[in-house]
Amino acid sequence: MNRSSNRFLLVCIAISLLFTAIGAQMVRIQNLPGAQRILDIAENYMGINQMVYPERGMILDAKGRLLAGNETVYEVGLDLPSIRQAETVATVVSTVLGLDYNDVMKTIRNEDGKLKYAVLNNFVDKDKVAQFEALIEEYKTRDLQDGETRPDLTGLIITPYNKRSYPENALASNVLGFYSFKDRTNGLGYFGVEETYNDLLAGTPKQVYMSYDPQKIQNLEEIPPGATVVLTIDREIQSMAERILDQAVETQEAKSGTIIISNPEDGSIMAMATTPRLDPNQYWTYGDIFPGATPFNRAVSQTYETGSVFKVLTLAAALDAGAIEYDSVFNDTGEITVGGITVNNWNDGAWGPQTMTGCMQHSLNVCLTWMALQLRADRFYDYMRAFGLDRNTGIDLGSEAHWPMKVPGSANWTESDLATNSFGQGISNTPIQMITAISALANEGKMMAPHVVKAMIIDGKQYEVNPVVIGNPISAKTAEEVTRMLSVSLEEESSTALVDGYSVAGKTGTAEIPTPGGYLWGVYNLSFVGWGPVEDPKYMVYLWLEAPEIGMWASEVMAPIFSQVVDELVVMLNLPPDIPVREDEWAGGW
Amino acid sequence: MKNSYLQAYRQAPWRQQVQWIGTFMVVLVALAAVAGVYLSLSGRAASTGRRIQVLEYEIDRLSLQIADTNTRLAQVSSARSLYERLNSLEMAEYDPINALYVKVPGYEAKTTVVLAPAPSVQAGNQNPAILPEFTSSLLDWLRVQLAENRASDGRQSP
Repeated sequence: MNRSSNRFLLVCIAISLLFTAIGAQMVRIQNLPGAQRILDIAENYMGINQMVYPERGMILDAKGRLLAGNETVYEVGLDLPSIRQAETVATVVSTVLGLDYNDVMKTIRNEDGKLKYAVLNNFVDKDKVAQFEALIEEYKTRDLQDGETRPDLTGLIITPYNKRSYPENALASNVLGFYSFKDRTNGLGYFGVEETYNDLLAGTPKQVYMSYDPQKIQNLEEIPPGATVVLTIDREIQSMAERILDQAVETQEAKSGTIIISNPEDGSIMAMATTPRLDPNQYWTYGDIFPGATPFNRAVSQTYETGSVFKVLTLAAALDAGAIEYDSVFNDTGEITVGGITVNNWNDGAWGPQTMTGCMQHSLNVCLTWMALQLRADRFYDYMRAFGLDRNTGIDLGSEAHWPMKVPGSANWTESDLATNSFGQGISNTPIQMITAISALANEGKMMAPHVVKAMIIDGKQYEVNPVVIGNPISAKTAEEVTRMLSVSLEEESSTALVDGYSVAGKTGTAEIPTPGGYLWGVYNLSFVGWGPVEDPKYMVYLWLEAPEIGMWASEVMAPIFSQVVDELVVMLNLPPDIPVREDEWAGGW
Repeated sequence: MKNSYLQAYRQAPWRQQVQWIGTFMVVLVALAAVAGVYLSLSGRAASTGRRIQVLEYEIDRLSLQIADTNTRLAQVSSARSLYERLNSLEMAEYDPINALYVKVPGYEAKTTVVLAPAPSVQAGNQNPAILPEFTSSLLDWLRVQLAENRASDGRQSP
């Protein structure tokens, strides 16, 4: 009994010693100098720590149509240790992707042994991936001849990912901007909505640890996509504006062109077309399309002397301040001297007694200078500041610019500036500044913040962008009076601007172009601003053709373009006719 | 006398061995049962985890596919594509000069796009364009950082 107990005890001790030794060895191994390195290697097999970039948010037009989205492209790479048939892989990859066979073989040989994974090509399209998939399937099911080895593409890794895509190509590209998608980790939005809303569209990238251990799978984080941005831009209206603009620039051989169509009631921009335009799917052609200092979006980035379209602001200011009455009469002698310079009319003629409507109708520089003098310089510039002409409008697009306005007290301001400024010379503004200021005339004196974003969808919730009043430069009564006067004057000044069945108000502008050596001779900037219906304006259109070589007068060139735009616009906006259609002019049938 | 008394109540050695072995076996079976249950549960959990992993990959794949399909749909219905199709079908564009406005009783054109529900009133007061860095206090920031660090400590492998 005692002997067997001793044997039992000995066995227990031996086993205990064995396990103690094993334990001690485990502790020793874990504290070896290279233990941490082994732990680090082991960690590679436990999971992966990587930055996850959310899907970039979509950009939609006002009716929910996609203007910027994402499409799937592929990364083709090689998992070098797992390649079984180097020649087969190299042949297939070089044939499908058009790579050099020897280069691929060199990558596969991995002579320095440092690489585990090699990227062969990025942004590979679906068609090429389909070719790979077809070959893989064919190799699997191929009937082999005696002695033939089954081809094997093991090691070929095809990884899908998102690439920014603009399905409308160049349409509205001056508003959208572009995203530098070729840089997969540090891509950025440039110009337009892509730049202004880059942070919202991009979402928040997160460093995520993804464990290979299925027990820890619940720790995987959700990465919400970037915000979806809904624009006020309407694809159909934008398309129409671009089509008409391109035609006009081509036929008039203009240096560039701009059309803005907005809703004066809330400041939303329905279309903003400029030339040139870039296909954002090929943004790397930017340098060729916009050489030198060419602005990406002239509507917000390029100032110019607007000429007679500016007169509507001078008229509104003078009427609102009580410096003139709408039925005041001015006797036009054909010239007026202010600050040592003599101002003449566009035709150097004297037009005799003119009502204020007549001054606008004949676009008389002398009359407008007289209005500014009646108003006085301090009040004139106070009104121009109230119209926002001395600052950016704050539109939600990148690269907005403005030209500093000279005012009394400025070092380079002279009295003659008041005269020239009154009819839009010697003062430079962007088209977006002009349409924002003039929208007060079509919106009961209230100036609305121009904007291109209608709503944002963030985390499944739609946030609407509310219209913002940014100024109230004139009274509702003045706005109404000026609109009526410009409606009447347009009928006489530019009857080709009229639209059958629809009342419109507007003004042409033919402006001289300044250069360091003085104003150019025989080349002008042609503009037009118009809105309607007169009783309750729903749209405002601003047109600008830069230095056209064919036409010379805005009344001849721009008025028909305005009419063409509005003809199509009223149909797209479902606006009913507000004045009787003259039966002799209507070409349709009942 | 005392020895004979103790000896009278002592278990037989073979019986003691059987008792020891029996006790050991009971403990062993209990441990095996617990290990078995643990193995079964962890196996099922791992299997479920693996299925979740597969589903996560599937979600990623479908997200890519949805985005891609939306874009391709937009490409084939883009203004230029529709214009080209119109021409290939030998259809004429409408002439706005000839358009006749007809009021259809009861018809209201769609004016707004609602792609998602509006936020709650409370959320509506927050401007989504302003990053939290501009609205939260230093104390809020510290609290968030501490919470994130705690969560991160529990998640990261050594």
